[in-house]
Amino acid sequence: MKNISLGQYYPARSPIHQLDARMKVILAILYIVCTFLCKNVLCFAAIALSSILLILISRIPLRTVFRAIRPIIFIMIFTATINLFFTKGETLLFSWWKLQIYMEGIYSAVFMVVRIIVLILGTSIFLTYTTTPIALTDALESLLSPLRVIRLPVHEFAMMMTIALRFIPTLTEETSKIMNAQKARGVDFSEGGLIRRAKSLIPILIPLFVSSFRRADELATAMECRCYRGGKGRTKMTVPHLHVRDFAALVLMIAFGAGIVMLNRYGFGYTV
Amino acid sequence: MAELTLEHISYIYGARTPFEIKALDDVSLTVREGSVTGIIGHTGSGKSTLVQLFNGLERPTSGRVLLDGKDIWEKPKEIKRIRFRVGLVMQYPEYQLFEETIRADIAFGPKNIGLSEEEIEERVKEAAELVGLEPSLLDKSPFDLSGGQKRRAAIAGVMAMRPEVLVLDEPAAGLDPKGRDTILQGIREYGKKTGSTVIIVSHSMEDMATYCDDIIVMAHGKVHLSGSRDAVFAHARELCEVGLDVPQITRLALLLRERGVQMPDGVYTVDAALDALRPLFQ
Repeated sequence: MKNISLGQYYPARSPIHQLDARMKVILAILYIVCTFLCKNVLCFAAIALSSILLILISRIPLRTVFRAIRPIIFIMIFTATINLFFTKGETLLFSWWKLQIYMEGIYSAVFMVVRIIVLILGTSIFLTYTTTPIALTDALESLLSPLRVIRLPVHEFAMMMTIALRFIPTLTEETSKIMNAQKARGVDFSEGGLIRRAKSLIPILIPLFVSSFRRADELATAMECRCYRGGKGRTKMTVPHLHVRDFAALVLMIAFGAGIVMLNRYGFGYTV
Repeated sequence: MAELTLEHISYIYGARTPFEIKALDDVSLTVREGSVTGIIGHTGSGKSTLVQLFNGLERPTSGRVLLDGKDIWEKPKEIKRIRFRVGLVMQYPEYQLFEETIRADIAFGPKNIGLSEEEIEERVKEAAELVGLEPSLLDKSPFDLSGGQKRRAAIAGVMAMRPEVLVLDEPAAGLDPKGRDTILQGIREYGKKTGSTVIIVSHSMEDMATYCDDIIVMAHGKVHLSGSRDAVFAHARELCEVGLDVPQITRLALLLRERGVQMPDGVYTVDAALDALRPLFQ
């Protein structure tokens, strides 16, 4: 019951939710390219603005969006500090002992942080927040299907991914159930030193392993009973179609990229 | 020997997310000391959430859980001690066996309490006997046993801790009738022998009618009915309204009475029905 939310998917009705998953994968890639095209203040302002716009369009609450950023705050601070102190430039602002801060350093630290935030926001809004994991693997399968020519088992990879994703919530639920059962028998997971804590995991890991193998076995049997025999000749229940809105989104994204390239010429201040 | 009381308990899953579910809504109830109490309700009525509140595995969103009149969350750091006093057997407990032998697995709980070797050995023997596990099975690996035997071993594992309140979530689910009777009888036996309070969660009206003194009916996260077995089954129609039913034999008795056959109150078992009907044929 506790793990109904699968991955980070946030159900809502928004133009981004409605886009075809395959198009969203392409859009996400293009958006990443855009962040790396940025060279000056104007560009970074534009891309930051665009990601705020994306959040608004996707109708995902800010609190949820910033949950995606929280785990990388440390990396952001780290990169910002490195950039701040190690970028050499012309205008020296501050100097103490061996530390020197240049104007260029401040620029590049800010650019770096904006770039990381936009990268995370862009990919999570296009992919994880607005697309269900199943739609995402389907999209990847479809986008990678040309690789079948070189004998890559694309369908099998996609199926493995789908199954893995499908069983994440099941196994989390199972883990919490087993943990509760062992807690009820007096195991304390937060007590004692490292070795004792590691030891207290045994009563969880063994039943979890056993039940994973049991589930795998049952699933394989169930799939065989329904005549599953791999990707060859397999049809889809819901065949995705590209709509006008998907192409419109693509055109918009390309125009945005072109805009960024144009803005690179009119920049002022520091350029990367 | 302990009385368990819930006061205005509410429990919400995934609060402040789009997946918010109110599992329990202002539940107040008392489980009598030394009784065998059945909690019955449909899937999603909140019974499995309820049992996890009894031994402090989950903390209620609001309200208090009282064990012998004392709030179990008074000192959150000592919640472990509550778990030794209120033993919980979860649904399908056979999947939590992990030791190399059944004996070691049953001994796991008592060992965590910190009992002496002899005490543990004695408790393992006693618990195994209560659930009907033959001594020869004790040295086997859990994976060599049948489903029913594994279930019994898992229940023995909690009984061996000798909790004052024994809570079991669907202890008989998915077992054949004979296995079901052995387990439920063993559980009742445990209550009688130790004087402990026993709480059984189930959706089988037949089992409840046979083994429980008191019954609590849950529906939509609330207590729908509660009281002694007779008092609850007197509300046959209300039970049907929440998608539950009185035992089949009770329904038969009620129908017979409607057609003018002399039937006493409280016919819950086939044996009781036999006793009531036999005079009519003599």
